[in-house]
Amino acid sequence: MRYISRATFFHHLDPRTKILMSLACACLIVILNTSFSLFGLFMILLAAFFSVKPPLSYIKITTYLMGMAIVATVISQGFFYYFEPRTPILTILPKDAGLIGKLTGGISIYREGLIYGIVQSMRLFSATLLSMIIVMSTHPSDLILGLKRFGVPEKIGFMLTVSIRFLPALAEEAKRILIAQKLRGLRLKGLRGAIKGFRLLLQPLIIDSLRKARRTALAAEVRGFTGKRTEIKNIRFLWTDWVTLSIVFLIMVLAIKSRFHL
Amino acid sequence: MIIIKDLTYSYPEADYPTLEGINLDIREGEFVLLIGPTGSGKSTFLYCLNGLIPHVFAGDIRGDIRINGISPQEITVAEISRIVGTVFQNPESQIFMLKVEDDVAFGCENLSLPKEEVIKRRDMALKEMGLLHVRNAETFNLSGGMKQRLAISSIYAMGPNIFLFDEPTTDLDSKGRGELLGIIRKLKEKGNTILLVEHQYEDFLPVTDRVIILENGKIINETKSFHSIRTVCRERRCFKGYSNEIDIQDLTFGYRKERPILKDINLNIRRGELIAVCGENGSGKTTLLKIMAGLLKPDKGRFALLGFNNPAIEELIGRVGFLFQNPDEQLFANSVEEEIMFGPLQLKKKVDKEEYLKLANFNTVRKRHPQTLSRGQRQLLAILSILAMEPQVIILDEPTTGLDYNNLCSLFKILNTLVNENKTVIFSTHHMGVKEFADRAILLEDGRIVSDEIYK
Repeated sequence: MRYISRATFFHHLDPRTKILMSLACACLIVILNTSFSLFGLFMILLAAFFSVKPPLSYIKITTYLMGMAIVATVISQGFFYYFEPRTPILTILPKDAGLIGKLTGGISIYREGLIYGIVQSMRLFSATLLSMIIVMSTHPSDLILGLKRFGVPEKIGFMLTVSIRFLPALAEEAKRILIAQKLRGLRLKGLRGAIKGFRLLLQPLIIDSLRKARRTALAAEVRGFTGKRTEIKNIRFLWTDWVTLSIVFLIMVLAIKSRFHL
Repeated sequence: MIIIKDLTYSYPEADYPTLEGINLDIREGEFVLLIGPTGSGKSTFLYCLNGLIPHVFAGDIRGDIRINGISPQEITVAEISRIVGTVFQNPESQIFMLKVEDDVAFGCENLSLPKEEVIKRRDMALKEMGLLHVRNAETFNLSGGMKQRLAISSIYAMGPNIFLFDEPTTDLDSKGRGELLGIIRKLKEKGNTILLVEHQYEDFLPVTDRVIILENGKIINETKSFHSIRTVCRERRCFKGYSNEIDIQDLTFGYRKERPILKDINLNIRRGELIAVCGENGSGKTTLLKIMAGLLKPDKGRFALLGFNNPAIEELIGRVGFLFQNPDEQLFANSVEEEIMFGPLQLKKKVDKEEYLKLANFNTVRKRHPQTLSRGQRQLLAILSILAMEPQVIILDEPTTGLDYNNLCSLFKILNTLVNENKTVIFSTHHMGVKEFADRAILLEDGRIVSDEIYK
């Protein structure tokens, strides 16, 4: 999952707009509580998702993630819905069926639970789509630049950039360590094996990362990095940013008004 | 230009000085090659010039250093970086930004130059260093040679006139080395002063004005040539068996179907052969080795090893030993002894660890944590940990990277011992000088075998 260079509406937005927009969306996901409004938010984000022209593989991953989310929430909410009124639509174990029935108070699937599950998964869907849109349409360095303009200190921004830059290498390295262990005949079974395997992976990974970090720190020193520097990159607010932010603001006001009956 | 008088330096809490009584004058525009075994103080010497000593590494520094009349001890590392630029060994750890052009500008931005000046210098460096065509590319997708070029460009844009290179070619293949040589030549023609530390230095001799040899922190005047290893390490032998250890017929492989990495490979390897697989980065060396170790499955063709046809990796564990390039990804135990016994323990094999400790003279360090050893020792330990599983076929990916003369000798002595025990050893290398220690060299070019030489 990563940035894809395209020329779409979202790609052209200022990273600051996108940061504000995602904050607003995150609030909306929490504030909205009717199935109608949550579905509305989901549809808007779905349209936005397709507007950044995601490749087929990304659509597949997103569908898969959303499928998992809906199955998990609907089932768990269907079974474990506690609020009254609740209407059982399928009773698996009646209240008076032996000890387990008494202990659990019966196991049933509730209609209200299923509906609540669907509403909850709308929230998860929206969060998934939102992060996908931001990741696909914003180059990480632009995102960091946006954060810096919001007052995040230079050194923190630098740390973020460097960690994003080293992430792919770290994943590759972990993969090689695991193969190397397999080649040395390591076969791990069960929970104890998993814990041992984790330790055996972590130790070389951390030591090597520390070594790399040290080398990187020296390289930054000889490039004169002190935390005070010129920034040649520019990000600019265009009229599209203002329009987008106004719409987001308007939706926020409406949502808050209807939620808290102001 | 650079005047050094009686320089002596000890790292904090060290018992003896790393540099001792160094006296040296380097003229403007001179190209100085600095050589010597690992631990002789070469990198430390460079750190004294770029201010990392004493500003980052404390310790006891005596004597006097003057660079253009200024002492690096009296100004900050950032200020020194305007006159002295440093390029390190590993290009990977010298790149900070995600986009090529941002990384070229990185150093200039740190100097707090005016915005227009930064942009001017960035574009100049991109152009002169031949990076214009990749200016918008992502840095982590570049090849090793391009990464090192980028690291140099970022330093170049800062405008120093003294360049320090600390083993810049170690992680590059011969194509990358060639490119780097071109860049360094260009820097020299522009009148820059260059100080280069390197183990495999033959390529640089034509541009070198002076060779300085460091040993145990002192400047000495004689050296052993790299080529003499061949006479030291190589023993001629005749093959004891003629059974086919590895048999590859019409093999094709690609990570993506439409772009094969290996094409129509036909190869026969006999028991007891010592084979070098050579070629540029991206020629398919590592891929071929991985197929031989059962880590990758060929798309087409036949691959047989020790009588197994297209074997699964599980069938080969214990029979084939495979060593990845970076030893640090393969050391997981808490002591040298444990590391050697890790594999045999998993396979429930009884082996004599003393025998392996002796192979690399590890008796004195047996209780130490593997990660506290020197880079060369870690490389040897990673090899021993594979050997202790007593595999019949040993496959090593770039085992000579970063080894100095002494460690290189140890490595080839170990490999010779193995071959004399009738084991089959295959190693890849991008250093053409190294292939001659093998009995046979296979040259890969763009996924095809273009030559297969047997040395007599």
